[in-house]
Amino acid sequence: MKTATQLWVRLKVIDLVTQTARITLAEKLDFGDRLSGMTHYWYWAMDAEGESSEKAIAAEVDRVIRLDSAFTNQNKHSYRLAAGGAALGDLALERDYAVSGGPAAGAGTAAGVAPAARGRASAGGATAGGGLFAFDCLVREKRPDREAAFAERLNARLRGVVVSNMKCGELWRLITAAPSREAALADVEKMLVSRSRREGLLLNPHYQQYEIIDSRRIETGPSGADARAGE
Amino acid sequence: MNGSFKGHVAIIQFPGVNCEYESAAAVRSIGLGAGIFRWNEAPALLDGCSGIILPGGFSYQDRIRAGVVAAKDRIMDKVSELARVGTPVLGICNGAQVLVEAGLIPGIHWEKVDLALAPNVMADREGYYCNWVFVRREKSACLWTGAYVEGEAIPIPIAHAEGRFTTEDAGVLDAMRENGQIALRYCDAAGAALDSFPVNPNGSMDNIAGISNREGNVLAMMPHPERSTWLRQVPEDLTGQWGRRRRAATGEAGRMEDEGPGRAFFSSLRGGKGGEAR
Repeated sequence: MKTATQLWVRLKVIDLVTQTARITLAEKLDFGDRLSGMTHYWYWAMDAEGESSEKAIAAEVDRVIRLDSAFTNQNKHSYRLAAGGAALGDLALERDYAVSGGPAAGAGTAAGVAPAARGRASAGGATAGGGLFAFDCLVREKRPDREAAFAERLNARLRGVVVSNMKCGELWRLITAAPSREAALADVEKMLVSRSRREGLLLNPHYQQYEIIDSRRIETGPSGADARAGE
Repeated sequence: MNGSFKGHVAIIQFPGVNCEYESAAAVRSIGLGAGIFRWNEAPALLDGCSGIILPGGFSYQDRIRAGVVAAKDRIMDKVSELARVGTPVLGICNGAQVLVEAGLIPGIHWEKVDLALAPNVMADREGYYCNWVFVRREKSACLWTGAYVEGEAIPIPIAHAEGRFTTEDAGVLDAMRENGQIALRYCDAAGAALDSFPVNPNGSMDNIAGISNREGNVLAMMPHPERSTWLRQVPEDLTGQWGRRRRAATGEAGRMEDEGPGRAFFSSLRGGKGGEAR
């Protein structure tokens, strides 16, 4: 059986890289009125193949990634491993869509939303198809050999399971307030790609690339205090 | 300096850099004044400065990507403004990463990011690499290499994990070659630019170790000249004339303060355009 497998890893403590990224985007690159939240993960996606069940394959991959600090360090990381229908680990990914607190809250952990953005998102979402949009953006180096090296590393330790088609990098969940999904996507592209000193931050296109691996519109309640993923 | 850097070289201290004092000492070693400028001081204090150095280290802890957060800092507005009117600007290691992320290097399209300093690509290893290497002074209009002889192989230390000059735009590489912007290339002790590890220690395209802007007043270089400014900093087992000098000086404390191979980057500053030939 071949199973599509994904691994998300995040710091258990406040992620200062995310804090810095958020401050830089908001205050130096003028996205303060649109960037409503962001979260940072290390991410791996692969095919895992074995004779056993999906659940057993997930358990075997889980055994290895828990032991190998190239993937997780139990002292500082939370993770979610998803293999087909099986899910392991203590990271609640959905919680990272939560809309709560002010601009400073949760910048490194869950997604905090600026009050101004909350109000506009609620109004826009109710009237014109606008609102809060979340994009999971995978930033990868343009070096397939690095990804292959992660697969080799896993395969050297796995028993009865072989992984292939490895894809990995840093995953940024960006939550933006915009009048439409298209406008939100345009902002996300501008936040991601460093094209000039005044534009882009999260990747340098001369050695990195990105893809959107998931996106959704976030429904907010009347007070903006609650959120759930739409679509 | 009463706050103003007029007539002095300003060493920009972003949070997390760690070579600012050595860089200032290296500038003073050639008789120029130098001071530390903290990134959040008034930019106008830099007016009239005789040069700017962005030193090595880990600005903003290398968060997101080496040099990128500092590149977006507002003080870089002033650095960009001064660079554009000809003020000498030198970025060393992390400072080079800042200049590249700020688009001041190569500066063909001012402030456009035309290059990256990507993670090292090395044979059978990855990550941080620290060693002495040789760089060759290339034919260029670079102010900061003016005191070296064209073709000279200069021994100098490197210490970085992200030092691989690369671009997706072949036109940029062609333009840099045509404009004479490639100021330094990694080479062996004899000056041959072999494109293999360890001569090219990070997989940099075209063996590039340092790039200037077209005008020659801005240089981004990955090696550390401030760590090779005095003879005492040269390792005894170094190949070539500098190693011989260092070995000959062993036991003579006074000679340890003699010039090292990297000092001429700073003395180039005294000669203005084209540098002060040694």
